[in-house]
Amino acid sequence: MKVLDRKLLREARGHLGMLLAVGGIIVVGVTCLVTMVSAYINLADAKQLYYSQCRMADFSVELRKAPLAELKPLEEMPEVAKLRPRIQHAVTVDLPGMIEPIIGQVYSLPDRRRPVINDIVIREGSYFTARRDNEVIVNEKFAEAHRLRPGQWIRMLLNNQQQELFIVGTAISSEFVYLIGPGAIVPDDRRFGVFYMKRTYAEEVFDFEGSANQVLGRLSAAAGGDPREVLRRAEEMLAPYGVFTTTPLEDQLSNKFLTQEIQGLETFAVVTPCIFLAVAALVLNVLLARLAQQQRIVVGTLKALGYGDLQIFWHFLKFGLIVGVAGGLLGCGLGWWLARLLTDLYSRFYQFPELPSRPYWGVFAIGMLVSTGCAALGSFRGSRAVLRLHPAEAMRPSPPRRGGAILIERVGWLWRSLGSGWRMVLRNATRSRLRTAACVFAAAMGACVLINAFMMQLSIDELIDFQFHRIMRSDVDLTFNDERGRDALDEAVRLPGVDRAEPTLNVACTFINGWRRKKGAVTGLIRDAVLTVPRDAAGRRLRIPARGLVMSRQLADALGVGRGSLVGFEPVKGQKRLRYVPVVEISDSYLGTAVYADIKYLSRLVYEEYAVSGVQLAVQRDPASRGALYRALKNLPAVQTVAARADMIENLETVLETQSIFILLLVLFAGIVFFGSILNASLVSLAERQREVATLRVLGYGPWRVGGLLFRESMITTILGTLLGMPLGYLLMLATAEAYASDLFRMPIVAAPELWILTMVTAIIFGLITHLFVQRSINKMDWLDALKIQE
Amino acid sequence: MCSTAALGRATRFLKLTMTVTSDQPRRILLRLQNVDKTFQMGEVKVEALRDVSLEVFAGEFLVMVGPSGSGKTTILNLVGGLDSVTSGRVWFEDREITAFSAAELTRYRRDTVGFVFQFYNLVPNLTALENVMVSTELSREPMDVIEALRLVDMNDRKDHFPSQLSGGEQQRVAIARAMAKNPTLLLCDEPTGALDFATGKRVLRILVDLKQQLGRTVILITHNAAIAQVADRVVRLRSGQIVELHDNPQPLPPEDVVW
Ligand SMILES: Nc1ncnc2c1ncn2[C@@H]1O[C@H](COP(=O)(O)OP(=O)(O)OP(=O)(O)O)[C@@H](O)[C@H]1O
Ligand SMILES: [Mg+2]
Repeated sequence: MKVLDRKLLREARGHLGMLLAVGGIIVVGVTCLVTMVSAYINLADAKQLYYSQCRMADFSVELRKAPLAELKPLEEMPEVAKLRPRIQHAVTVDLPGMIEPIIGQVYSLPDRRRPVINDIVIREGSYFTARRDNEVIVNEKFAEAHRLRPGQWIRMLLNNQQQELFIVGTAISSEFVYLIGPGAIVPDDRRFGVFYMKRTYAEEVFDFEGSANQVLGRLSAAAGGDPREVLRRAEEMLAPYGVFTTTPLEDQLSNKFLTQEIQGLETFAVVTPCIFLAVAALVLNVLLARLAQQQRIVVGTLKALGYGDLQIFWHFLKFGLIVGVAGGLLGCGLGWWLARLLTDLYSRFYQFPELPSRPYWGVFAIGMLVSTGCAALGSFRGSRAVLRLHPAEAMRPSPPRRGGAILIERVGWLWRSLGSGWRMVLRNATRSRLRTAACVFAAAMGACVLINAFMMQLSIDELIDFQFHRIMRSDVDLTFNDERGRDALDEAVRLPGVDRAEPTLNVACTFINGWRRKKGAVTGLIRDAVLTVPRDAAGRRLRIPARGLVMSRQLADALGVGRGSLVGFEPVKGQKRLRYVPVVEISDSYLGTAVYADIKYLSRLVYEEYAVSGVQLAVQRDPASRGALYRALKNLPAVQTVAARADMIENLETVLETQSIFILLLVLFAGIVFFGSILNASLVSLAERQREVATLRVLGYGPWRVGGLLFRESMITTILGTLLGMPLGYLLMLATAEAYASDLFRMPIVAAPELWILTMVTAIIFGLITHLFVQRSINKMDWLDALKIQE
Repeated sequence: MCSTAALGRATRFLKLTMTVTSDQPRRILLRLQNVDKTFQMGEVKVEALRDVSLEVFAGEFLVMVGPSGSGKTTILNLVGGLDSVTSGRVWFEDREITAFSAAELTRYRRDTVGFVFQFYNLVPNLTALENVMVSTELSREPMDVIEALRLVDMNDRKDHFPSQLSGGEQQRVAIARAMAKNPTLLLCDEPTGALDFATGKRVLRILVDLKQQLGRTVILITHNAAIAQVADRVVRLRSGQIVELHDNPQPLPPEDVVW
């Protein structure tokens, strides 16, 4: 080994604490990068593979009932490669031992296996056989949740008739990677299932001989990937058969969630590591600037002996590279491990035939490149000043620090009121600008990350509270197969354990404002409804007007309408005439884009007579009455879906719980940033001022008093940085929320005082913990030796 | 004297076949021509050298004396390629040092010059042995490192770090480091400043032997007028100017110097 390398190793050992501090930040940066990019590739690859394996539809059209022959013209469009008509229907499932009602969706599949659009992947058992008509394939998660196996029988209410079906297999499909029931935003394996049955059987039980109520299609190359034209034509052509909705793949529910997740990963895979690595480079810069400064004379001597600039730079660079390479390797390892964990977590919500987590060597290479690059940059910037010196100049002791008064000194009364300790602290903080700046920057970035972590938690709480305690207040929601009259409400009131029942009417429609069209629905409520309460952003209750709509802000913005505007309303059922109705209020919510109206007004508009499509119930909460209610509901054939608020909240909470892991990780990462930068700055400061410290000790300062000076210095930068980082974090959060916002789900932005307080307190706690380490090295410092050092 | 024997071994080790005769016409090794060196310190200008012209001959032992701050170290730095002149020119043999690029300067320092610094400048994190190796690793035909340390009587302390050595011991390691590179030109800034009488004499003997046996050129700075007696020529500086330059036709052997 070269002699200079020995020097390097000895110095590295001497600066171990600082190197670990910087290394920690690099590790965090690379870990984030590798984790997110790997998880991104895992998900994106799995999605692509799965979609092509199942021949995922590019669009779908839902309609009332269309004869198969009538689909011919659509299929012959040059933009359409292939169509697949199918039958879909909502069902309720009756499982022994389950008191709560279970709903599901039935889809038809060819009797004999052949490749089709939106195909399934068999997970257990087999495809349909020729032995029976009434065979069923159950989606895997549902089967697992209820321990259903091929060979068992299952009872379902199909088209108001109880049927026994024989389970031949379990399966998954690319259209249900993210499988959620109606109105839900998170999967519920137990209470919502997907069932596939033979086409001939479905035709028979649903009375759909030779017809279908859903058309799936794949685009040909001629469409250029854009299904809008096809969907517009389909709507025209199939209008006589009652088109409810046309959905491009982009808006397909499962695809939307999955794509958004992948896009989110993509963004964060760039932003987060950048934050950490920038901090790492800066902190390394400070460390190496100190090291090079300290070694001025050595640098001069080496130059005098005939070492070239490049050789000496390489020597310092190696110092940075040790950290960069070690941090990079560790980060890659940790990142790979975390990517597996994250991918594993995804596979709990996103169902793929396989979601393997592979090591991506390219990603590791990028991780190493980025970490060594950031280390090299830090080393370069740190050692540049000293390397530039003439050897003769370098060998002389460095010129004294910029003297002169600092800014605060000019404010006489303030300066005079400060003790000598504070004066020392402030002078130091102002004079070592780079270090102070690095510390402030690091603290700002740390605070940014903390704000994001804490806000995520607060948002979740706010979302659940606002959505499920303030807007949706019913305990159980029922929907009927078809619109019914007032009698439905009377029937519901008489159900066991019901305290209050309110009717609802859901009307799917198209909203139109000029050239803007949006598919949506209006929910009719009674005017003094208490079980669904539309609210504005401030949480104030909005009255349902006698005429006109209460529209959610997202939809109003998308349509370009506001309070008092008229909006075109074209229902897909009843009288499908386009009518212009006033928007009376704008409401806010985090889930969906609800539009409310008075149920009487809405009924008149669409059906001319009072209509009810569902009932919301407030019920007694004890399990016995709940059981009685559910038993009664099972025997009501007209009830299509049953949703219990408690179940929804519980579901949401379990999903969001997994977020806690990430919140915890984020806090940990922020902690490493604070720890690394403060430790580094304090130790550098300590090394730089050994003589000063020694002199203070001679004067009778104890180690804790000396530590106190350093502590005050690091607290100033920590608090300043945190203050700067908080608005930054807030802006970042706004951008994140904006990026993730969709028709289905919006992230509440919570800027409550506790957010700011919590962030500041956490930052200060990190500062305190770090200072304990600094204090340890002050206590251990041999200050008599320091006095002898000639610099 | 043991150091003489050691030097003999070093000579064999280097397999040098150089004949030294004193009668040959003196070849000019270094030439300074109207050299000025000014340091700018904020508003203040310090004129460290003013119009200095000097020739140094190959194989001579030149001693520079002068009061503190008179510019001795500054000359050494310029000659050794450690600093740039403000005006004037410096040649080494037929090459102009003042016109060298940074890379050429580095090569010049590496291959030609050996430095003993006024403040030793050992690398704190390297042992005595390693401090010598720092320079031999760069050299194309270095002396044996142990041999170099033995010459200054430091081989039994070779594994100690500078902080564990006294000032005089550090100075001797610094001398070993300069010699071990086997340079044509040896520049010594007060190499005996921190040494006691006996050790100082031994160091001088080594330097004189280097000149006499290997034909090296030695420039030595001292405050000690007595040491000037071993020189072939003596340069006296005052306030950045050469005020006196005289030959010493009969240099004393170091053993006979008294101070
Ligand atoms: N970097 C510098 N900046 C300003 N002035 C300098 C610098 N280096 C040297 N000087 C000045 O140049 C003059 C000559 O300095 P030099 O080091 O050559 O003196 P010297 O003869 O070696 O003195 P000593 O015997 O004390 O070592 C001195 O007045 C010194 O203060
Ligand atoms: Mg000097």
